[in-house]
Amino acid sequence: MYILGIDIGSTTSKAVIMNDKKEIVASSIVVATVGTDGVSLALEEVLNQSGLNASDISCTVATGYGRQTYEGADYQVSELSCHALGVNYIFPDARTVIDIGGQDAKVLSLNESGRMVNFIMNDKCAAGTGRFLDVMANILKLDISELESEARKAAKPASISSTCTVFAESEVISQLAAGTSIPDLVAGICQSVATRVASQAKRIGVKERVCMSGGVAKNGGVRDALSKELGVEIAYSDKAQLMGALGAALYAFDKINK
Amino acid sequence: MAVKEELLAQLHEVASNPRKQLDSYLAQGKKVVAVAPVYTPMELIHSMGLVPMGVWGADVEINEAKKYFPAFICSIMQTILELGIKGEYDGVSAIVIPSLCDSLKAIGQNWKYAVKDIPFIPMTYPQNRKPEYGIKFTKAGYERVINDLTIATGQHYSEFALAESNKIYNEHNAVMREFAEVAATAELTAAERSDVYKSAWFMLPEEHTEIVKKLIEELKQGPKAEGKVRVLVSGILADSPSLLNIFDENGIKVVFDDVAAESRQYRTDVPEMENPLDALAHKFADMDNCTLLYDPKKSRVEYIIEQAKNHNADGVIVLMTKFCDPEEFDYVPIKRACEAAGIPHLNIEVDRQMVNYEQAKTMIQAFKEMF
Repeated sequence: MYILGIDIGSTTSKAVIMNDKKEIVASSIVVATVGTDGVSLALEEVLNQSGLNASDISCTVATGYGRQTYEGADYQVSELSCHALGVNYIFPDARTVIDIGGQDAKVLSLNESGRMVNFIMNDKCAAGTGRFLDVMANILKLDISELESEARKAAKPASISSTCTVFAESEVISQLAAGTSIPDLVAGICQSVATRVASQAKRIGVKERVCMSGGVAKNGGVRDALSKELGVEIAYSDKAQLMGALGAALYAFDKINK
Repeated sequence: MAVKEELLAQLHEVASNPRKQLDSYLAQGKKVVAVAPVYTPMELIHSMGLVPMGVWGADVEINEAKKYFPAFICSIMQTILELGIKGEYDGVSAIVIPSLCDSLKAIGQNWKYAVKDIPFIPMTYPQNRKPEYGIKFTKAGYERVINDLTIATGQHYSEFALAESNKIYNEHNAVMREFAEVAATAELTAAERSDVYKSAWFMLPEEHTEIVKKLIEELKQGPKAEGKVRVLVSGILADSPSLLNIFDENGIKVVFDDVAAESRQYRTDVPEMENPLDALAHKFADMDNCTLLYDPKKSRVEYIIEQAKNHNADGVIVLMTKFCDPEEFDYVPIKRACEAAGIPHLNIEVDRQMVNYEQAKTMIQAFKEMF
């Protein structure tokens, strides 16, 4: 028996196949989203990796922004519930999940059994999200993957006072014109995301162990800044970006094993 | 069509087409007075032979009102003015605007310049409504409204008529309170429930009372809602069809509300007193548990928890009107009280300008999945 979890996010499509022992058989991340061929590419990749056919999949659960329009799903579940399940699978002792995706940031509280009991989600604003980092990387002519290494070179992180992506963009341009170094600016940008998300986390209450999920978790600059801001260690897995798809697969597993 | 569906269809038609309702009253030779949020002395307007019709704005694009308001003000106020400027209220004899929040104070000033054809009548309430001097202040405000209404409409005030109107509104209050209880268990969607409250703003109370009484009987005999996530909804407004559909799609059942445009209107009756205008002023003094009514003890918070427990609510959903400072201030103690009581809660920011409901949809679905 194989089950499939698909997370159709605002920036990337992710897929995870699990077997009947709840082991990850294959996973894929494709930078393309709703309304593109991202989902089929992610699916194709995950099937190729596992050597399975679509007919081998017993149950498919979709999550993320595109969950409701994806026709191949047997069930659709919110990404919040899926990230909670995914994180609980990797870090069973996690009690707070900070999920920063391409378009939104969410903080989840999990109880002793790893079940989500409360959450908070940003609304209608790109500040503190992956989109904010994309915009900033673009101004600095850097690839998003270079932000972490640049931030680590910073001597004196710049202060990006605005929490608004649009205003922060002009602030960064002004600082560039004033001669602030790229590493200092990148560190300031990571700090800005961390400050924004930390205030969101504090509203719901931060209980250790704290784990980061979502694409932005891959950025060590943001992780470090967030760790300092909250005064806690941040648990991180290289599967951070897959947590939603993983949770969707786990949901599928539970559905067919009920 | 079954009786329940017929009654709901009738209320839905009124709730979704207030202009048609206004035209119908005007065609009957009646004079209509617009009443702005949140508490306007409708008994008084009704007693002068006028039809009070609620104006709570609408989900429309704001263009003209932006000339008068900054972007960071409650969209209910902005869309009331927008509709006024665009002639949606043409035919109305006057508008009564109470002074219960800073935005309401601002709309009155702007209205005078922006909508010259519809006279603005202010109703200035006291901050301290309960002491004797506060009650006198309220009464003086009502007397000014009477005077201004007479100038605007030519209609006159009589104590006898107000005593009768007070009774009519008290009966409507009682029926709406009963409806809230019956609707908590009956099979009724969030959208249908909302239509019952929204239509009340556009109908004479005696007409609305009769329909709701019949509806209550039908609901009592009809099937009960099962397998739903039961919630108490709090906020200023909860009438967005898109948002209510998300509730219904996710099996969220509204078992009680603390919504300004809904149950908050019907909690307090006019007491029995010799002078009906004194009685009406006492009614305002007796009102409680509302963001817009000064209360240093914030008893509203405990009220919400108590009602959530009384109605076996699984959770509390706060529909936070964007830029509503009083509601935002109240949210923190409500959140803390819910946490202390172990009641899951959700805060969704709403306004009259919402086009995309994806975030709200995800939040509501995730909230449902917690149970």
